[in-house]
Amino acid sequence: MSSIETTMLPVLQAVLSGILVGGVYGLLSIGLSLAFGVMRIVNFAHGDLVMYGMYVGVVASTLLGIDPLLALPASFVLMAILGALQYRIVFRRFVGHTTLNQLLAAIGLGLALQMAAQLVFGVDARSAPSMFAGSYDLVGPFFFARAQIVAFLVAGVATIAVELLLRKTQWGKAVRAVADNIEAAEIVGLRSQRINLTAFALSCGLAGIAGTIMVTYYPTDPTKGFTLMPIAIIATTIGGLGSVGGAFLGGIFCGVIQQTTAMLWNSALQDVPLYFLLLVFIAYRPTGLFGQRSE
Amino acid sequence: MTAGATPEGTTERQAPLRGSFLYGVVAVALAAGLPFLPFANDYIIAVAVRMLIFIALGQAWNIVAGIGGLLSLGHGVFLGLGCYAAGILFNEYAVPPWLGIWAGGVLSVAVALVMGAMTLRMRGVFFALATIAVSLALDQLARHYVDLTGGDNGLALRFLGNSLWFMQSRTPTPFLYAGLTFVIAYYWITQWVLRTRLGSEMKAVRDDEAAAAAAGVAVFRTKLLGLLLSAVMTSFAGTLYMQSYQAIDPETAFGLSQAIQLQLPALIGGLGTSWGPIIGGTIMILLSESTNWGSTKLGIAGVDILVYGLLLLAVVMYAPKGIMGLFDRRTRGAWRP
Repeated sequence: MSSIETTMLPVLQAVLSGILVGGVYGLLSIGLSLAFGVMRIVNFAHGDLVMYGMYVGVVASTLLGIDPLLALPASFVLMAILGALQYRIVFRRFVGHTTLNQLLAAIGLGLALQMAAQLVFGVDARSAPSMFAGSYDLVGPFFFARAQIVAFLVAGVATIAVELLLRKTQWGKAVRAVADNIEAAEIVGLRSQRINLTAFALSCGLAGIAGTIMVTYYPTDPTKGFTLMPIAIIATTIGGLGSVGGAFLGGIFCGVIQQTTAMLWNSALQDVPLYFLLLVFIAYRPTGLFGQRSE
Repeated sequence: MTAGATPEGTTERQAPLRGSFLYGVVAVALAAGLPFLPFANDYIIAVAVRMLIFIALGQAWNIVAGIGGLLSLGHGVFLGLGCYAAGILFNEYAVPPWLGIWAGGVLSVAVALVMGAMTLRMRGVFFALATIAVSLALDQLARHYVDLTGGDNGLALRFLGNSLWFMQSRTPTPFLYAGLTFVIAYYWITQWVLRTRLGSEMKAVRDDEAAAAAAGVAVFRTKLLGLLLSAVMTSFAGTLYMQSYQAIDPETAFGLSQAIQLQLPALIGGLGTSWGPIIGGTIMILLSESTNWGSTKLGIAGVDILVYGLLLLAVVMYAPKGIMGLFDRRTRGAWRP
């Protein structure tokens, strides 16, 4: 094996693993991006819904004895309901502008959700391996965990489904109309509160799916929400706040940078370049790579 | 200058509380006389010190967020820089904190300058995200460079015994007076900002950026000045924090629950007012002490986090102007963040 191959192969492996990991970061981010795009809400509690989604997988696997992947629909529905409640109780009054109070309300909600999870499930890390756990696939010189391949596929399908929902359905048209101009949308007879409620519920349901798919290869504990949130925020900003497809690609971008940093520099500092990248994007390209709406 | 729904004469600089001078004298006398009261012990004085330090930190955050309206969610950055700069300089080079405090201040100004220059021209949400990113980056760096920072275990000051030169003391009483000095100085700075052109311009930018720009306010420069002032104040109070607790770790400096403890005093008491952080900080510490006591009794960890979370929610949803807003009819119609 030549020296170029020995140095390049691990880097390529890191890039490919990064794409797989990043797909799930993308799934974490599309719900966040949807809520921002439609309602200008930055939901810091999004990560905590992901964490609850992870616990849905844990409950399915340990209490009910079924594969966590079969719990995906239940996780979507449960988190969508929780999201609708959040919208009714807290976020309804903050639609339209990202304000200090909106950010703080979301943080407060996140803390309460985290603490509730701690009271119910305890502080210990829990995992819920699926039927694919522990199997690896070799593709040429590269190897991949099968659980991560499955997760990537679920993330991709969910992103495409949401994009189609927004672009091709009557509901999607209504959501985009309310996002563009809430008053005009109401004048033509759209019920903006109800449409926002469904969009917010969808955003939270996606968090549930992301959590349940993640827990098949990544253990959870009550603090996971706040651990995962920064990556989701960075992916969303890089992809363009409010763009669903962009958030997915932003997630992949983050995954690749994170994994190659871990490979070439230091795995303890794998997120540091991402934080600086966020600053650079904010300064020079605040609409992100794919954001259309600038304000 | 009267931007948005804030007509001149409704803002806080016109005497927020009737006879606030008298209240001030009573509060200072109470704090200063605490060690001489018959029931005072080291525990009670330590709680008072914690209260004063968090009031000072809250006063610093109040400048940028309350008066300036900038959504800083990562002020732990400047607290951490103040702690680590003074601590590392002292441990490694025996530099007294009287000098270390300036090193922390200079570092904080540098970080705030870079952060502000990169993000303050954009919408507020981007500044908020950037503050989080910077505190997370510093958190990972502090955990990694163990030789310098002590890593996850944190940095403990070498203890030399009672020494004014090295700002160390076996008892908390000297820090009571140091904390009191900070709170009085920061109260005065807040009053000064509110009275001067800088404060008026900050409030104008906060209430309506476009209108302020149209009225000739240099929006970016005003925001940046507010951030720099607040960063230096936080860093100075951070050094006091370090000397008083003699240890710091990444979670305490840059973690989320610390960031929230920096915000709660001003939020509870009333954003943008000079008395708000003082009232709010007092309430926050009393509440946190009692929940800590309660959660040890019940054997449940983390009740204080739950209380902070619910308190944040309750304040922003039901009393966005804080306790000062309940007291003062004249702030009705003033800024709702």
